[in-house]
Amino acid sequence: MHPQRDSTPICAFNSAAKIRQKSGSYQASRWIRRGVAILALCIAGTNFMSTASAQVPALLQPTNPETHIGKIVFVELVTPDLNIAKRFYSSLFGWSFQTTQINNSDYAQATMNGYPVAGLIQKTIPDNELRQSAWLTFISVANVDAARSIALQHGAKILVEPRDVPNRGRQAVFADPQGAVFAVLASTSGDPADGLSEPGEWIWSSLISSDPDNAASFYQAIFDYEIFETNPVPGQEHLIMASTKYARASVNSLPTIAPNRHSHWINFVRVSDAVAMAARVVSLGGRVLVEPRIDRQGGKVAIVTDPGGAPFGLLEWPDGEQQEVAK
Amino acid sequence: MKTSSIRPILLPLIIFIAGVLCSGCVAPGYGYGYGGYAVDYYEPYGGIYGEWGPGYNVGPYRDGRGRQGPYSGGHAYRSAPASHPMPSIPMGGGHGGGNRH
Repeated sequence: MHPQRDSTPICAFNSAAKIRQKSGSYQASRWIRRGVAILALCIAGTNFMSTASAQVPALLQPTNPETHIGKIVFVELVTPDLNIAKRFYSSLFGWSFQTTQINNSDYAQATMNGYPVAGLIQKTIPDNELRQSAWLTFISVANVDAARSIALQHGAKILVEPRDVPNRGRQAVFADPQGAVFAVLASTSGDPADGLSEPGEWIWSSLISSDPDNAASFYQAIFDYEIFETNPVPGQEHLIMASTKYARASVNSLPTIAPNRHSHWINFVRVSDAVAMAARVVSLGGRVLVEPRIDRQGGKVAIVTDPGGAPFGLLEWPDGEQQEVAK
Repeated sequence: MKTSSIRPILLPLIIFIAGVLCSGCVAPGYGYGYGGYAVDYYEPYGGIYGEWGPGYNVGPYRDGRGRQGPYSGGHAYRSAPASHPMPSIPMGGGHGGGNRH
């Protein structure tokens, strides 16, 4: 019976086809498994690289158990040209740099005598944005989220919500009620110990505010500062904010002579000769905004910018505690 | 379609899809490429510095001098107790890093 005879090859063919189908299914599933594995590896690798590259250096190495609430513990510069900024600050103050990648951006950690002094971040300013480079002031807090609540209650705006930065700690960026921008940081490696800064290191900070009285109240609410009045000048208010027995920053009235002024923080680097350093700033491509001038008790101060336009101060300070700066 | 015929394109296709997906994993939602470290900050343009008149001082004091007040009332802040002298910046040799102010 042909049909029966013929059925055998047909069945054989079907069996072979089933085997091939099974083999094909097996091959396909094997490729799919490989694909999934590759995909998983790729995602895992990317996440690992993303996490690894997002780690900025710790504030302190080795760590310090001290915490100094209200102390300016770090500063960070967002600059349109990182290489120019690095050359400038290296030539001016002798800072050394270690550059790492934070995702797609370069982050340079500046050190002085082996200790971190600043972080510099590259960011291009879009053509349609009128913005200027600036140093961001980080003030120590014990609890960033509590600081956020107090800041909001007292009229601040949140520019960057509290977030954990691997290796650094928890931080947030606010604008105070008068618009001055600052950051708070709860460092996981502790705060720098209190001591006299060396030339080339940050030594002082000032808040230039459109409303010093209310600004002092705002920062007092967050950092529990003691507020000290200084010599009154008609139409101006000069205050000193202190914590744990040390002066941390001044609060000054914003000069009202020119328009377009906004409240801001400005940080000062200790120098031995403000006049010479201001001239050096110009020779390196920066500008002088406030010529060196006698400040309290005889020391000179100046306000300058780096080539990217970021303002900062120069402040003379004597070595000895009892030594007066020559007038 | 036989498996053998799709095999040459399957692996590149998977790698391509993986690459597209992975590119979307970088810095999700942060915009500027700083990832989780988005301190992306510039001052508003147009700020003018200077015009500091006579007596416009910004620096710290030394030796406990310079204290005025406390003035009674009229301030939003609380003045430090009258018994507290004007503080200086840290003057000792503590060496906890470059940000010692």
